Amino acid sequence: MVRRRREGNGVNEQSMAEWSAVVLATAKARFVALGADLAQAPTEAQRAYESVYAALMTGTGVRAATYIAILLFVGIAVEWLYWMYAYSPLRAAMAMPMLTPAAALRVGLRRLFLSLSGLLLFTAAAIGVSAAFAWPPHVHELIIAATLLLLVLRLSWISVSVIIAPGRPRLRLRLVPVAQPQARWLAAALMAALALLALGRFLPPVLQDGVAQASHVASALRFIAYSLAMLILFVSAFAFFGGRDVRADVPRAPLFPRSFPLALLVAAVYAVWLMNDRAAAVAAIAAVVIALQIGLRPIVYFYWREDDGALPAIVLSLSRFVVALVGIGAAAVALDTPLATLAEDVGPWVRVGLRLLGVAVLALLAHGVWIAIRSVVDQRLKRIGPIDPHEPPDASSRLLTLLPLLRVTAAVMLLVMLVLCALWALGIEITPLLAGAGVLGIALGFGAQALVRDVIAGIFFLADDAFRVGEYIEGSGNTKGTVERITLRSVALRHHNGPLHFVPYGALGSVRNTSRDWVIDKFNLPLPIEVESETIRKMLKKIGEDMKADPVLGPMTMEPLKGKLYRIDPGVKIFRCKFRCPPGKQFDLRAGALKRIEAALKKMDVQFADGRQTILLQNPA
Amino acid sequence: MHGGSLVRTVRLVSGLILMAFVTCHLANLAIGMQSLAEMEAWREVLTAPWTRSKPVFFLLATAALVHATLGLYAIASRRSLALSTTDVVQLVLGLFTPPLLIAHVIALYMSIRVSPGFADSYGQIQAVYWSFAPSYAFLQLFVVVVVWMHAAIGLYSWLVLKPVWRRIGGFVLPVLFAVPILALLGFAQSGQEVLNRLAADPAWRAAILENVGNIAKATRELGNLQSNAILTWAGLVAVAFGILAARILRARMMPVQVDYDGGIRAMGRHGLSVLEISLLNDVPHAHVCSGRGRCGTCRVRVEAGAPSLSAIDEQERSTLERVGAAGGERLACQARVLGAGVAVTRLLPAFADATAAQAPDEWSAGAAKETA
Repeated sequence: MVRRRREGNGVNEQSMAEWSAVVLATAKARFVALGADLAQAPTEAQRAYESVYAALMTGTGVRAATYIAILLFVGIAVEWLYWMYAYSPLRAAMAMPMLTPAAALRVGLRRLFLSLSGLLLFTAAAIGVSAAFAWPPHVHELIIAATLLLLVLRLSWISVSVIIAPGRPRLRLRLVPVAQPQARWLAAALMAALALLALGRFLPPVLQDGVAQASHVASALRFIAYSLAMLILFVSAFAFFGGRDVRADVPRAPLFPRSFPLALLVAAVYAVWLMNDRAAAVAAIAAVVIALQIGLRPIVYFYWREDDGALPAIVLSLSRFVVALVGIGAAAVALDTPLATLAEDVGPWVRVGLRLLGVAVLALLAHGVWIAIRSVVDQRLKRIGPIDPHEPPDASSRLLTLLPLLRVTAAVMLLVMLVLCALWALGIEITPLLAGAGVLGIALGFGAQALVRDVIAGIFFLADDAFRVGEYIEGSGNTKGTVERITLRSVALRHHNGPLHFVPYGALGSVRNTSRDWVIDKFNLPLPIEVESETIRKMLKKIGEDMKADPVLGPMTMEPLKGKLYRIDPGVKIFRCKFRCPPGKQFDLRAGALKRIEAALKKMDVQFADGRQTILLQNPA
Repeated sequence: MHGGSLVRTVRLVSGLILMAFVTCHLANLAIGMQSLAEMEAWREVLTAPWTRSKPVFFLLATAALVHATLGLYAIASRRSLALSTTDVVQLVLGLFTPPLLIAHVIALYMSIRVSPGFADSYGQIQAVYWSFAPSYAFLQLFVVVVVWMHAAIGLYSWLVLKPVWRRIGGFVLPVLFAVPILALLGFAQSGQEVLNRLAADPAWRAAILENVGNIAKATRELGNLQSNAILTWAGLVAVAFGILAARILRARMMPVQVDYDGGIRAMGRHGLSVLEISLLNDVPHAHVCSGRGRCGTCRVRVEAGAPSLSAIDEQERSTLERVGAAGGERLACQARVLGAGVAVTRLLPAFADATAAQAPDEWSAGAAKETA
């Protein structure tokens, strides 16, 4: 086993060395060929020009040019017709007040859609009609290449003008955080680079294969065009991303300037291209992906500067994910690798890599969902704020108990699902795991019946809104107290004498909640039999009205104190008094009422009924 | 600016005359799709009358001269570079037209003069284009594209404002593009026919060759004539743009200010129209006819500073009447700011299109509802 591994290492080292030797040799061969191309290009260009001119200055050339003019007219006609209808919506979109970058983004998307539709119509019409003509040899390829070149150029211009919007700064159409004087130069630099890249991509094949047969010129042209484009991008990286952040009003710790990694990326892509054509496409895509990943954060926060919620975080993570996925897809297209066969035909490492990629995708998705849930919960919690124990508990206290519960539950569920899915994506059979978990679940289930009952009961208590934090409740079985904490399994009740009861929901039974809406307090007032009940009733009513007007007691009173004769016992008239008030206030109110009643009775010179009973003993004598 | 509307009308009429001629010419080419002989036969009807009859030819030449001169005059009398994309395209195409046409016309004229045997028949000309001097053919193709696009933009932006466009638009626009496409197809078809005949008919070929030899001797004279004409034109264009630049530079020192509805404030130069100030300052402002005073979509209600605006001229008055404008309303493209500043309210939404000129009532009602 050990031996084999060592052998494997040896093979790896050897193949590594071989590989680099091959790469260097290819690169050297390429350089030599490139030098030859550059040296021979001028004379060959002269020859190619003559042969192309000779081919052009014939009836065939004239016919081709005539057809091109027709294509142009057809394309323009179709696009003209399109813009007759599309121009007004475009102007309407651009005339909207762009108060926030997000509004500008919406308008930008609309502009993009309208312009792209026109461009697509033009291209489709031109290429479609071009199929109808009988072209001279080699010309149709030229036409298609020219149309594609035009398409790419216009596409670049549409993208640059929508994203950077170099002109009309006052309309605030710009979609990226770039200052005005820079925007024009950045747009010009990008357009120049894109045009050069398109030229280097579409013109050389035509030169190589057509009438010209000028492979050296093609190669030299490609080299010059790509080199110039890369030079422009390299310089732009320093010119436009070297300075401080655009939001200079926000004091920030100095960061590593973005210009260096960007310039490095450009240089790296160029170096790869010099060595290997095929790898260059992938390298370019990777570079664009990395550059976007670097730039995404400021761009996303450019749109959601005001919000402090987790929305930008979600958007950021989602857009990172999308950029990466699109990059992978583009790389696959660039390599001409059908994704379906990729999974079957390649070695184990690529397979593992693909599966790890799948896990990463899952993790990203789970992360996005988790951030979404957490941000919603946190924002609600923040809006509710901490509970004031002196205030009557309201609906928000229920949310305060439910939301953290929800958050934890979601986290656990997401984690479990992610782990299971990840295992499945890695090719690990999870059926036995699930079955085992099932068996274990049954075993645990019997044991944890009470636990499950508690949890389920708790959910329903909360759903019924039976109690909230801060309320005084009485359960069955003599458990009573103020709700202090609600957990997944139990509720903690603080008894008014101090002890804390932990009551599992399953044992809570029927709940008597004394903290809801209002309470009615009743008490008896025994007075001597001689008092006149109507006077007392009026006096009690008066006291009730006084209390209602009292600055302290008045707000607590929902229905003022009233009283009336309730029972007549031997020697005693019992008056029954009652009032209605918010829960928890009855004690203060009753104390106030009794105080006033006592004072009033004293004033009226009425004693409370004494317990004395006159017993008349009949003398047997 | 009383001359303004007259100049515009004359330019329009001369352009229409030229366009009629070009249309006939292209239609004649389109018949080449049938056969060369048909093309020659129809030439008597479509193209020849324009050149044979002295008064018609005089009219045509005058129209060309007038149109080119007024085009330059329009550039020279501009006050700013606030132009829509369509206008820029039309202007550039228009600047290219005279040199290209001069090359075409002078070449033909000289050829007939130096080589009397060279009848200006389509067969012979096509033979020259397709076989003996294809570079001329490329020039012709370029001329067709440039001239026709210039004319099409002009005709479209004039007609689209008319109420009648609603009825004829669906017919005119396809025709507008069918004419050059069919002409080019006819050109290609008859060219092929000529090439076939050249191969099959040595006598014809010899006759043409002789003529071509004659013409080739005069190439130098021809080239001189052409380059002189083109240089003259370039000089005139430079003068026109020079006048424009001088005017812009001179007015630069006198800033004026326009306040719009919605609390927008824009600065401009003295003498610019309100619309030009809007466009230079990115203030959304409808202008379907690009400031020619025809469409009425740019009209504004003057809230303050009415005396500092230029007086209403004939064109503006008639357009305002046509769109049913109330008192105190002006066309932003005609009202030039001559005083310190004005305050205006834009009456039509910035996205108003040609329908606002075709049927002003519908849009006025909508705008009134909006303000209410």
